[in-house]
This record gives sequence, C-alpha cells and structure tokens, in this order.
Amino acid sequence: MGIINRARIYSPWLYHMHCGGCNGCDIETLAALAPRFDVERFGIQLVASPRHADILITTGCVPRQFIPMVKRVYEQVPEPKVVVAIGGCACGGSLFYDEDPENYAILGSPDLLIPVDVYVPGCAPKPEQIINGVVQGILKLAEKGAKKDSK
Amino acid sequence: MSTHIKILRQVLSKYSSPMTLNYPSGVDPKKKYSQIPEGLRGYIERDEEKCIGCRACYMVCSGRATKYFDTPEKRTIQVYHFRCTYCAHCEEGCPEEAIKMTKNFELTVTDRNDPKAFVNTELKMLVCKSCGKSYLPEKMQKRALERLSDKINAKVKDTVVADYKKVEGYCMDCRRARGVMLDTHTKKHVWLEVV
Amino acid sequence: MADALFTIVSAVLILPISLFLGVIYSFLIRKLSARFQWRVGPIVKMYSDLAPLIGRTRIWQPLYDILKLFGKDTVIPANSRKKLFVYSPYMSLLFAVATIFFIPFPGMPLLSDVPFSLIIASYLLIASIMFTILGPVASGSPWGAIGARREVELFLVAELGFVVSLFAMAFAKNSLSIWTLASNMESLPAILLTIVAGTTMFAAMLGKLHIKPFDMPEAECEIVAGPYTEYSGKLLGTYFLAKVFILYSMVSLFIAVFLPPFSSSLWWLPVYALAAFLLVFLLSVVQVLNPRYRIGKALNWYLKIVVPLAILSFVIAFALRMVA
Repeated sequence: MGIINRARIYSPWLYHMHCGGCNGCDIETLAALAPRFDVERFGIQLVASPRHADILITTGCVPRQFIPMVKRVYEQVPEPKVVVAIGGCACGGSLFYDEDPENYAILGSPDLLIPVDVYVPGCAPKPEQIINGVVQGILKLAEKGAKKDSK
Repeated sequence: MSTHIKILRQVLSKYSSPMTLNYPSGVDPKKKYSQIPEGLRGYIERDEEKCIGCRACYMVCSGRATKYFDTPEKRTIQVYHFRCTYCAHCEEGCPEEAIKMTKNFELTVTDRNDPKAFVNTELKMLVCKSCGKSYLPEKMQKRALERLSDKINAKVKDTVVADYKKVEGYCMDCRRARGVMLDTHTKKHVWLEVV
Repeated sequence: MADALFTIVSAVLILPISLFLGVIYSFLIRKLSARFQWRVGPIVKMYSDLAPLIGRTRIWQPLYDILKLFGKDTVIPANSRKKLFVYSPYMSLLFAVATIFFIPFPGMPLLSDVPFSLIIASYLLIASIMFTILGPVASGSPWGAIGARREVELFLVAELGFVVSLFAMAFAKNSLSIWTLASNMESLPAILLTIVAGTTMFAAMLGKLHIKPFDMPEAECEIVAGPYTEYSGKLLGTYFLAKVFILYSMVSLFIAVFLPPFSSSLWWLPVYALAAFLLVFLLSVVQVLNPRYRIGKALNWYLKIVVPLAILSFVIAFALRMVA
C-alpha cells in the first residue's frame, strides 16, 4: 500500500448531514465523538464543510423538499468518498415508509438518490455500532482509493 | 480568574485516567469494553420450535417490518431489520414467547438485500380437503387443540373436542358452506346442562 | 568558505527538522487538549489487536492529514478568481518556509546573524498570513469573506503586540539581529523586561496561531469552516503545511528572543526541548480553558490589556538603556 493510501486509513474526516428525522441518530453520532466513546483516538475528525470530507454520514429519512440538497451535497464531496447511512430511517425508511399509496411528504432512504456504501441499522443505533459502521466505511475507502491510484 | 483556576484544577485531576471506553479493542482487561445495560433491545431472534405461525407479531409491528408470505406449501414470516424500530411489541404480543430481543448490536451490511438483515421462519401449512387452498399452519392447529383441551370446563370438554375433530381439514369458507352437514353443536351442550 | 558551506548544509538540514518539530508540536496541542477533556487523544501506542489494521502509532497524525489531502481531488469553484485562488496557498507556504531560515536552532545559527534578521523574520510571517486572507477572499463564497474579514481585524491588533514586544527586546540590547539577542545571557535588571515583553508576546501568539479564545476566523460550524470553505484537496493540504511551519517558527522565535542562551549552542538542546514542551503545554491549557470570543470582544481585550503592556515593556527598555 502506498503512503497516501495508508494515510487515507489513518485520517478519515467525517461530514454529518442531517436529512430530516427525529434527531435521535444525530445525538448518538455526536455521542460517538464525545469523551466517552472517543473516536479521535483513530484520527477521525468532524469537519464543517463537505469539501473537506471523506466520509458522508446521513441520518434520517429524506422529505421530498430536501431531495435537491442531498444531491448537491453529495456532488460537493471530492473523490474518493464513502457514504454511511445511520439509523433505521436512513436504511429503509422505518415507520415512515409507505408502499402503496406513496407518502406525499417522505421519500424514504437516501439510497434512492445517492449510492450508499454501508448501512448501520438501529433505532437509534448505539455509539459503538456507529463506530463499527464507520470503521467498515474506512476499509471501503481504502479499496476505492487503491483503485483510483492504480488508474 | 478564579473560575479559570477552579476549572484548571478539575481538568488536571483526571489527566492520566481518561473515561474513554475501549470499544473496538478488547485487549486490556482492566478497562471497560463497552456499556451494555440490562434491558438492551438488540436484534431479533425467533425460536423455530416455539413459533406457531399465528402472525400476531405481524399485526402488532409498529414499523411494518414483519411480513408474511403464503404459498400452498409453507408460510414464511420475515423480519427486516432495516425497518424495525426495536420497540419489542412483538415480544410482548407473541402468545408462545418465541421472539426474543437479544443483546447483539453489531450488524453492519454493505448491501441492502444482504441475508444477514432478515430473520426468516418457515412453517408447514395444512391444505383444505375440498378447495385445495392452504389455510392454517400445522403447528397452530395442534397448539389450538392443546389450549382448548387445557382450559375448557370438564363437563363440556368432550363435546367441544369432538366438534373440533369434525371440522378439521376444511378451510373457513368450506366450513361455512358445510355448516349443517357437519352437525356441530352450537349451543346444544349448554341447553343440555340447563334442561 | 567553511562558514558558507556550514550555512548551506544547515539550511538543507533545517527543513526536515522543522517539519518534524512542527508536526510534534501540533500533535502535542491536540493530545494535551484531549487529555484535559478526560479523553484519550490520538493514540501514541495503538492497541495490539487493531495495530495490523490501522497502524501502530498516531504521533504523525497531522502529517497523515496533510498526505491524505494531497490524495484527494481538487475542486475549483466556478465563480472564484482562479489565479489568486490557486496561487495563494503556495505563496503562503513559500513565505512560511522562508521564515525558518532566519531563526536559530541549537547548533545552527543559519541566517540569523544577518544584521537585521528580526525585521526580515517578522515581515515574512506577516506575508504568509496575508495570503491566508487573500485566498479566501478570492474564493467567491460569503463564508470565505466573513472569515477573511475577521482574520484581518484580529491580525491587525495581534500584530501590534507582537512587533512592539520584539522591538522592545531589540531596543534594550541595542541590536536587531536575532543571533545577538539569542546568544547573550540575561543581565539581572533585564529579567523584568523579559517577563513583561514575554507575556505580551505570548498574548500575541494566541492571536496569530488561532488558539482558543481567538479562533473566530476559522470558527467551525459557525461560519461553515470559515476561510477554508471552498478549498479541498492539495490546496487545503498546502495551507495546513504552511500552518505547521508557522507553528514551528513562532515557538522557536519565542525561545530565541525571550529565553536567550537556549538556542545558541548544541549543548543546550535538551533545555530547548523542555522549554518548547512547556510553551506548547501553556498554549494547550489556554486552549482548553476558554470559549471562543466574538471579534469585537477580542479587539477590546487586545486594546485594553495587551497594548498597554506592550507600551510598558517599551518604557522599561528605554529605562534600561538610559541606566546601562
């Protein structure tokens, strides 16, 4: 593994995008960054702008008015990138998803709009689960980076 | 300035013993690995021996995560963990106590249709003698008979069990169609008592 | 001739040494801030069951951040001034690297015995920070403009304290060359001057390095990453690399001018390391104990407390010069 690909594993930066929802998963995500379950031990940092990020974390099920924003933020993250969907709503729509008739306000999971790489189910998932999911995302990021470097 | 000194003292007190949990690494036995409280509701596990296929979990599920599929040979009851809200209504509503919420919380998948996210239970169905449709799982019928035999008043028990055996093998529509022919006691046993 | 050869060799050697030390200081600020918040910062010795997967140590964490950024795509926004946007990080890095040649390291005087090296060093630092203002302004985003405006205001007042304290020390010792300031021991009446001017310089350092009460130019999430909002990939990596060199320059300039004999010869190297560690420790303590000020409050604080201290240090220097 080249030094730059190793650096991708050693320092992944997170951007947390909240696409509608009850905020339960957001509180658990921020608890994963707090002193009790410190993820800065592994170099993971929360950044404030999607242009600085490697891993995009989405929580909550997407309302129909938010669809263009999800696409815009996804396109602003530079390659290589990984999307992690946290919580039952972001994985499959949970309670708010109807099959017929379709809900007039809620679209469901963001993976109908952007390609999602890792799913972390739970309602709300424990911070340990979130760390587990992010670590799998980091390994996928290394694979994507290796593919990009070899091209 | 004095508040700064108070904060500084508190900040320096735990300098060498941080409160972080050692989550992904289980190497150090002295440090706490993870915080798992007593009644944690993790993923769902269904005991295949006890399940009778009554679909009470489907009717009570709040996230519409439990579904059932009927084919002429078997009934499949499926829980999709992505839609589940871990409310434990199914555990409360199951009459046979076949569903348990385990303490397992580590499941991350990369594909939406990964079989690890589903819990499937299959049951054999009985087929109606006259019309050929499947109407009831076998275990449910056996269990219903056992429950009937346990809790019914001893005087009317034989009549009721005999009636049940007469309609065995017919689905609900066919049972209604043959109501008179099968000659079941509706309330005759009560009148027998009173009179 | 041997002198010129020695200078060239030490100028080549100082580049990896300053990068190494800058990365260690940056890591120490993060680690100490984390320890003060009752958590574990970037791990020094990784757990043995995770080490094959994610590496054995995170001491070089700031360097890994920079290397990772060099491996990402660079996105240039459409409504920015492209030339200024792209060249600003490189100019900032150039001036930051040029500064380190004028500050002595134990055993290597480098170019600090040029007669007016103090002026050259402080102006190169100003030039480096100037390009962290021009780049965001050229990025065409409102968050960049707000961040740049805050940076300009903070920079103006912090610079006052920085320059006056340095020149008070130069005035008392009658020389503008950093090597002369760094190699003479302090005489007893000058200890008072060192204390007052050192405190002023420390307060100015907080403003220039964006340590906690004064990190409102890069206020994360308040103005969406501030000046660096539109930067990504290798341009952002260059800015972070310039920050590492600026941190090294400020710490070693402080030790050279205010703690005189420690930067002069190789035998003082352990004491130099101890002094640098204590300075970084103080910076992290200040970072942890304070919230973020508003820009008006920061200007107020600088004008009411730091500028009078600077004027006081100048008066003490004048008195010392009259007496001695």
